[in-house]
Amino acid sequence: MASPSEEIKTENQPLTVKDLNTENPRWCAGCGDFSIIMALKRFMVERQLIPHQTVNISGIGCSGRASFYINSYGVHSIHGRAIPVAMGLALTKPELKLFIHSGDGDAISIGGGHLIHGINKNFNCVFILYDNELYALTKSQTSPTTRKGHKTNTQPSGTYLDPIHPTSLALGVGASFVASTADWLPDHLVSTLKAAYDHSGFAFVHVSQRCPHFDPNNFDHKETSWFTFLEHENGIPVDKRLVGKVETIKHDPLDRLQAFKHAIDPRVYFGLFFQDKEKPRYDVILQNQVKDAKQKARSSILDSFNL
Amino acid sequence: MPVEKKRVSRFELLMDAGFGAQKAGDILIRAFAHTGRFVFIEPMIPAEISPPARSRPALSGAMIRVADFDLKNSGNETDIILAQHEIVLDRRLDDNEHSPTCRILLDIADKKANEDSYESVCKRATKQGLTITTFEVCEDGKNLIKGMGGKGKNMYYLGMLSAIYSVPEEAMVTEIKMIFGKKLKEEILEKNIQIFHFGYLFAQANIDFSIIIEEKELTSGDKILIDGNSALAMGIIDAGFKLLSGYPITPASSIMHTLAKVFPSYGGMVHQAEDEISAIGTAIGAYYGGVPSLTATSGPGLSLKQEFIGYAAVAEVPLVVIDVQRSGPSTGMPTKTEQSDLSAVIWGSHGDHTKIVIGVGNVLDCFYAPIMARYLAEKLRLPVFILSDFIMANSYKVIDKPKPIELGSIEDIPQKILDHFWIGRLPDEIEMVRSDQSDPGTPGHMRRITGLNTDQDGKVNYFSETNQRSHAVRNEKVHHVQRALRMPDLFGSVEEGEILVIGWGTTRGAVAEAVHSCQDQGLSVGGFCFRIVYPLPLILTSVMSKFKHVVTVEAAYGDVMKKPPLAMLLRSKTLIDVQTILCQATGRPISPKSIEAKIKDILNGIPV
Repeated sequence: MASPSEEIKTENQPLTVKDLNTENPRWCAGCGDFSIIMALKRFMVERQLIPHQTVNISGIGCSGRASFYINSYGVHSIHGRAIPVAMGLALTKPELKLFIHSGDGDAISIGGGHLIHGINKNFNCVFILYDNELYALTKSQTSPTTRKGHKTNTQPSGTYLDPIHPTSLALGVGASFVASTADWLPDHLVSTLKAAYDHSGFAFVHVSQRCPHFDPNNFDHKETSWFTFLEHENGIPVDKRLVGKVETIKHDPLDRLQAFKHAIDPRVYFGLFFQDKEKPRYDVILQNQVKDAKQKARSSILDSFNL
Repeated sequence: MPVEKKRVSRFELLMDAGFGAQKAGDILIRAFAHTGRFVFIEPMIPAEISPPARSRPALSGAMIRVADFDLKNSGNETDIILAQHEIVLDRRLDDNEHSPTCRILLDIADKKANEDSYESVCKRATKQGLTITTFEVCEDGKNLIKGMGGKGKNMYYLGMLSAIYSVPEEAMVTEIKMIFGKKLKEEILEKNIQIFHFGYLFAQANIDFSIIIEEKELTSGDKILIDGNSALAMGIIDAGFKLLSGYPITPASSIMHTLAKVFPSYGGMVHQAEDEISAIGTAIGAYYGGVPSLTATSGPGLSLKQEFIGYAAVAEVPLVVIDVQRSGPSTGMPTKTEQSDLSAVIWGSHGDHTKIVIGVGNVLDCFYAPIMARYLAEKLRLPVFILSDFIMANSYKVIDKPKPIELGSIEDIPQKILDHFWIGRLPDEIEMVRSDQSDPGTPGHMRRITGLNTDQDGKVNYFSETNQRSHAVRNEKVHHVQRALRMPDLFGSVEEGEILVIGWGTTRGAVAEAVHSCQDQGLSVGGFCFRIVYPLPLILTSVMSKFKHVVTVEAAYGDVMKKPPLAMLLRSKTLIDVQTILCQATGRPISPKSIEAKIKDILNGIPV
């Protein structure tokens, strides 16, 4: 996402995690959102991103508050529509680093239309999908990623339909970068953010996120037998703490077809599913139109209407 | 061909869609304008691309009003109709916008196959006392048209109309070459001119009437021929906007089309979003970044954008929305006009409403409105609307070429623009809900915006006092505008008396013409139209109190038990018993004559 030379903090003091804290987040104890923004802060410190040139943009929901809990510029926008707002900044202020925070309901339900087109337009940003597989801030309703049979307040006999797989959705609409990770794998999460940030274009990062309040048994974060890491020299390194303790398989991130197979597999995979570094960027296309056009003085604008 | 001298005349060319009726109209009005006549043209555009030929929805055409004085609207009645066939004629007669002595020229090329249909339409017209002259394209003309695959009939009709309106043939040929010169091959261009020539000769030899509008010496200075949407597009560039974020919708799309071609040369971008909501979200994102940006839409799109409109007000991000109104509600009539969005714009989006609304009433307003809107939006960090409508967007006329303003910072807004919209400069310092409004990239500020209520430091805050303060601060911004607004100029010299006629936006030309006409007859009738429709000037009540009757004219629905939007607004603001003399939602513009008739009804004691 950036040329490394721009990333060095200009002030005398290096950036620390403390610099990036704001108020105490109003999230439940044990919420996975804490880990996600902590990973982002750790990543920003590691790369020494300049906070005033960073914008965190979010929608509505528990994840929506993320933009207020990181001491950078921020937009807590409306439900499902962080992507259009981020697009405005990507088009007109390309020097800013953009991180979009969106939940499963926010991104795939009410904001589903924008997600498709954000991915397709491939504008430059890191898109973080906080996937706790239900609506939480509105108190436990079925979301597009809720597992079939799980009881919620709107489908009390158990969620009726099979969930949408976010990674397969992203791959299906032609994402240039698709990765998946989990909030309780901090090392892998930071590595994933690094890879996403270094990608030029719309970097889709899916994060499995715990909701201890409404669905405490969903992700067994103490157990490792139910997931597999995708491993490759061009991929994302396996979580440091789990090397040798967890199943890994080789997966070439250029292999889109295999990526699909992993994405729709009932087994869970974490790692880099797919990356296409050549996909054209819509923001660059529009910026180049201006760059390449012969600039004219505004005094001439009415000349073509001369009688 | 006996020549009748007239000061003003209106005619229509009616054809099937796709046969170039509007192009023919363009050529003719350029010739009129170049020979010292004033014109106002309103195209008739079907809502579909290629409706079946010889069907009522296929009606496509141009209505042209020409005069020896400046025209501000499309006028009252049509004097001459030239129709390609009986179906488009029949369709147009339904609108009842022709004069009782209207002359109809009807091409009967299709008559053989449609005898009955022709008979019944001719009967209908004759019954109304209209004269029908039937004709067929001459043999030479037919052969040429056949050779061009059926195209070129519009040129024949153009020839006829220019002969009827006594425009010299050479002047017409110059215009044809101007319009087609670069686009058509020499050989095709020659054929078109030939067809035109046949039509011209045919009318001279066979049509027993013609009209001449006196030539006025052209005033010095450059002139432009421009429509409302093009004027808005150029105004957007002039105002210093750098991004138009939109979604295709009739009749706003042509703003996007025009800018897509030229904006990059002025450092701007056109972004076609995936939907209306996304379009406004992107405009908000860019303006949050400090880059002037806006969105343009029409009714259905306005409905979709409402949540983001409220968000911009609360998050204090400048926002400019152009709404080119069409006939509603819902999908309504996409290529017909109406002014019914006023309520949705003023009161729209949930919760309290704090907006500023500009209404455009001519092409010069369109050109200046983006500057006015940007000034207000950035100064107040509130949503600002520019309300246009189908007729404003698509009608065009010749005006003196305005000098572009080339606005840099909003504080450089020229007095001329403020005066044009009858508003004074706003105070230097205007209190915001949040004291820090720094653009991203500014070190040390970290402005974070939200739709949640916040305190002065920008922190999310649900305390009652803080929320009440936020409301007060936002509303005070609107009050600043109220205090800065001056009274709109009154038409003519009547400042007190019997009747005050009030309008806004698209009806201005007709209201002005009706009021001036009444004053010329010595009647005690005043009138004005707003350019900023919301909020309203503080002095309004005292101006209105000087008249016995205050009435509005609106292209919006109203009846005995329901007041249309402007009347409702004025009543609530002034507690004056404002009535409405015209509140029609027919999709057609309101004519000066119908306003004048209603005014006279009141003067004669007929209740409103």
